[in-house]
Amino acid sequence: MSDREKDKDVQSSQPQRSQAPASGGGGGVQAAIGKQLKAYYDDVASEPVPDRFLTLLDALDKAESASKSSSRE
Amino acid sequence: MSEQADFRRELIGIIPNLRAFATSLTGSYDRADDLVQETLVKAWDKQSTFQPGTNMKAWLFTILRNEFYTQMRKKGREVQDVDGVHAMQLAGHPEQQGHLDLQDFRRALDLLPDDQREALILIGASGFSYEEAAEICKCAVGTIKSRVSRARTRIAEILGVEGDGDYGPDSIASQIIGVAPAA
Repeated sequence: MSDREKDKDVQSSQPQRSQAPASGGGGGVQAAIGKQLKAYYDDVASEPVPDRFLTLLDALDKAESASKSSSRE
Repeated sequence: MSEQADFRRELIGIIPNLRAFATSLTGSYDRADDLVQETLVKAWDKQSTFQPGTNMKAWLFTILRNEFYTQMRKKGREVQDVDGVHAMQLAGHPEQQGHLDLQDFRRALDLLPDDQREALILIGASGFSYEEAAEICKCAVGTIKSRVSRARTRIAEILGVEGDGDYGPDSIASQIIGVAPAA
């Protein structure tokens, strides 16, 4: 598990994948829609992970280890 | 040994995708991040049910989606009622104003039924296979395929309303939202 950064550009590393064919007719229009869809998504997906989530995971981590070790206190 | 650390690390790597998916579901950055937060807490609790080496992204998307629809059911449809909020809150970046305006695209996306929109996002943006999307949405692969196809056709129709030349926000907005543009 390295290179997490590339995750958003590459298809996730799942075992089986069947690529979405450009269905829905009208090649040019559909290509434009596909681009917009990516732009719409990447607008958010390209942002760095907000601190609140890292803080949250830290807290969850701590809570867990605390509950493990504090049972005898 | 450091399974926990691996889990955490992989989880963090997927957060950007979760946020993007959540934004498409909720139509609001704030709600999206609240949804992601709840998803992370759930995922953390269910950590033991995750099999290392399997597709964590699909697993997390499933949790997020379930959480979203559970909330929707609890709150009634209140979550989605605010027409045009998507478009207003998610202001487009200037550099993306092109022949096909991103903001118009968002409005078009908004007009899709939920099931079509999420299928389109999962396949066209999140990079899932039809099989994975079907699993996430708990439906048949053929259903996902037809939803994506209908979504594409519908968006083309909506955006095509104005013909080739003009995708001006006012004209499109009026078509879509049904309000007269401030001429």
